[in-house]
Amino acid sequence: MQGKAKKVKVKMSPMAKREERWAWLFIAPPFLGFVLFMAYPICFALLASTSRWTGMNSLMGNLSGLRNYAEIMADPKFWKSLGTTVIYLIGIPIGMILGILIAMGLNRGIKGKRVLTTMYYVPVVSSLVAVSILWAWVFNYDYGLFNTIIKALTGRHGPNWLGDEHMVKVAMIIFMTWKGLGTSIILYLAGLQNIPRDYYEAAEIDGANGVKKFRHITLPLLSPVTFYILITSLIGGFQVFVEVQVMTTNGGTNYSAATVVYYLYDKAFNNNQLGYGCAVATILALIIFLITAFNFWGQKKWVKTID
Amino acid sequence: MKKKLAAMTLAMAMAVTSLAGCGVQTTEEAGEAPAAETTSDTTTTEMTGTGDKEINILIYAQEHEKAVYEDLIAEFTKEHADEISKVNFEVTTQDEYGVKMTAAMTADDMPDIFYIGPDSVRSYVDNGYALPLDGLVDQAAVDNLWPAIKSAYMYDGKEVGKGSLYCLPKDLSCFAFAYNQDLFDEAGLEYPDPQNPYTYEEFLDVCKKLTKDKDGDGEIDQWGVANANAFGMTPYLYSNGARFLTDNYTKVNLTNNPQLKEAFQYYVDLTAKEGVTPTVEQDTALGGYQRWLDGQIAFYACGTWDVAAFMDDATFPYKWNLCGWPVGPSGDGKSTAWLGTVGFAVSSKTQYPELCAQLIQKLSTDEEGQKVLCGETTGKSLQIPNIMDYAQTTFKEKVNDGTIPYASNVDVIFGYIEGNDKYNGIFGETTYTYNAEWWDTFLEGIPNVQTGSISVDDYFKEVEPKMQAALDNAIELQNAATNN
Repeated sequence: MQGKAKKVKVKMSPMAKREERWAWLFIAPPFLGFVLFMAYPICFALLASTSRWTGMNSLMGNLSGLRNYAEIMADPKFWKSLGTTVIYLIGIPIGMILGILIAMGLNRGIKGKRVLTTMYYVPVVSSLVAVSILWAWVFNYDYGLFNTIIKALTGRHGPNWLGDEHMVKVAMIIFMTWKGLGTSIILYLAGLQNIPRDYYEAAEIDGANGVKKFRHITLPLLSPVTFYILITSLIGGFQVFVEVQVMTTNGGTNYSAATVVYYLYDKAFNNNQLGYGCAVATILALIIFLITAFNFWGQKKWVKTID
Repeated sequence: MKKKLAAMTLAMAMAVTSLAGCGVQTTEEAGEAPAAETTSDTTTTEMTGTGDKEINILIYAQEHEKAVYEDLIAEFTKEHADEISKVNFEVTTQDEYGVKMTAAMTADDMPDIFYIGPDSVRSYVDNGYALPLDGLVDQAAVDNLWPAIKSAYMYDGKEVGKGSLYCLPKDLSCFAFAYNQDLFDEAGLEYPDPQNPYTYEEFLDVCKKLTKDKDGDGEIDQWGVANANAFGMTPYLYSNGARFLTDNYTKVNLTNNPQLKEAFQYYVDLTAKEGVTPTVEQDTALGGYQRWLDGQIAFYACGTWDVAAFMDDATFPYKWNLCGWPVGPSGDGKSTAWLGTVGFAVSSKTQYPELCAQLIQKLSTDEEGQKVLCGETTGKSLQIPNIMDYAQTTFKEKVNDGTIPYASNVDVIFGYIEGNDKYNGIFGETTYTYNAEWWDTFLEGIPNVQTGSISVDDYFKEVEPKMQAALDNAIELQNAATNN
């Protein structure tokens, strides 16, 4: 028996061999897809990021080491766009809090829950360009919804939402929060429904009030969902582009609305600095990687599961 | 056996779907009828002959322009049916064009015929992508092109404007000025004189008279003029002799540039001090173009491509005409607007240079094609004719007798294109720099000057070093771009 088992390890049966061949065939498409559309472009971009490549000239003939990186570090516009990107992230906690509140409301078994959930989710599945155009009108200085309401309530003209250097950031955060709310609600709702009823019953018997139940049962048991939303929103938050491109001209007055990806696009495609653009992309990827790694390291401290 | 087949099919299906994202489909259809297939905003039309030469064309165009070129190419394919096997005519959007060309260059798969703008002639030639057209195109046809366009596409390896010709123009446009006649009539004012453009002072005076609160609610609802900073500012500055760059486009000069300071101060004061334009806030709410179409604005810019829209009563239900941009006190006294163009070029890698050159000559200078594009046959003028003798004779006659709906002061446009003692047309300064980042840097902060939150002097001081840094970068890139 033992001898036979050893033999199988060394030499596979014809059947196993055949199966293995088929296995390779099944693995091949996603693997090839990864190599062609992920690994190769990533390596290409890394190489291009060390070249003064313009798209027209020779990439290999203009290698310049880390010069692109040094120039990015010295460019105030890069830091400004990075700062703006980080400011926009304020929308993430706001969206989470609103998401939990609305999900808890929906979880009480109110009438029309499905209709409401669908309504909250519509922005998520809508075309980003379309809703950006819509919100550009909502924020419109003279004809926008917000300023019409402000004028009706206070009699004074509302702010120049998209034209003012500071207000544009507030406007973007409002828009992004609205856009992302549906996802957090759906996820939190699923999370809430997974919390066993008996935990609450036990707590009630022990005399816990609503706030205590929320703090000691709901919140900890939702932490895996919170973690998931945090990770995906942070990654998405660093990649914001369409909103800025559609809702402002030239990245806003004094580049006040521009994000890192907008800066990348501006450099690569408006100013024909493709190598430089690749370097910005590399830095951005590194930032996202570090933040995600930090989050995974930190989650041990606060993310709890039922088990 | 059956299982194997099923598994194989499944694997194939997976392979195909995983690649589907990058596939561009084209359908082929024999015979005369062009077959078109759309992928996103790009369309490819094929025209076939019986010969063995295949030509690929990539340009960007509006729908109506595309139809004209399609007809011209179909006609050319017919005329050369014994030589041509197939012409693939791919039309994309202006936004996507650059990305597509970059991809084509990187993949070393250039179309035979493509567009080059005057700002990228040097890059294309230095990197060996464009074929000199000397000897390939009919000299008589070249001599009949506007001198301004020809020089934009000539390059000798050092300077633009000299040496070999690399493109035949798709068009030559200019950014003229227009006024709403109805608003002048209402105010009882005399129309601007197309022979004598206003001075700065006269223009401001007229604008003040045309800026008013029509419905009496205490808020201004009609303005003298509206300007889009990105396009409508330079004519004011150029008409005062002001330029941003010196030393052969290598130095930014703002702080030590009285002509520029005077002109820019005048320009921002139209908004900040005089209030004859919508405010910055109002402009972000509704752009000047829309306000002009709504009849709220007395003066607005008019590109040659705008004429058809402004002549259309459904779009612009007002009487209007052309006039010159106001002239500043410190320039050469000429009203100066910027010119624009894009040209058809032939790839240096093409196998059929003669055939391609003949084709672009047809696209650029065929009289029937020009008649369509300029509105003689359609009544919608999309551009000024590329060929001078047609422009100066038949075209003008048809404008005067009303066959071509056009503003009667069409000579304003010819003045900018040909130049005379009152008018002058120049290519914007970004035409001569590798990219426009230095210029975008200037544009970004203008709203703050127009709201009065920073003075012109302070703005110049603050922005000049940033512009210079961007320009230095562009110069270095230009050098890298020519480094093979």
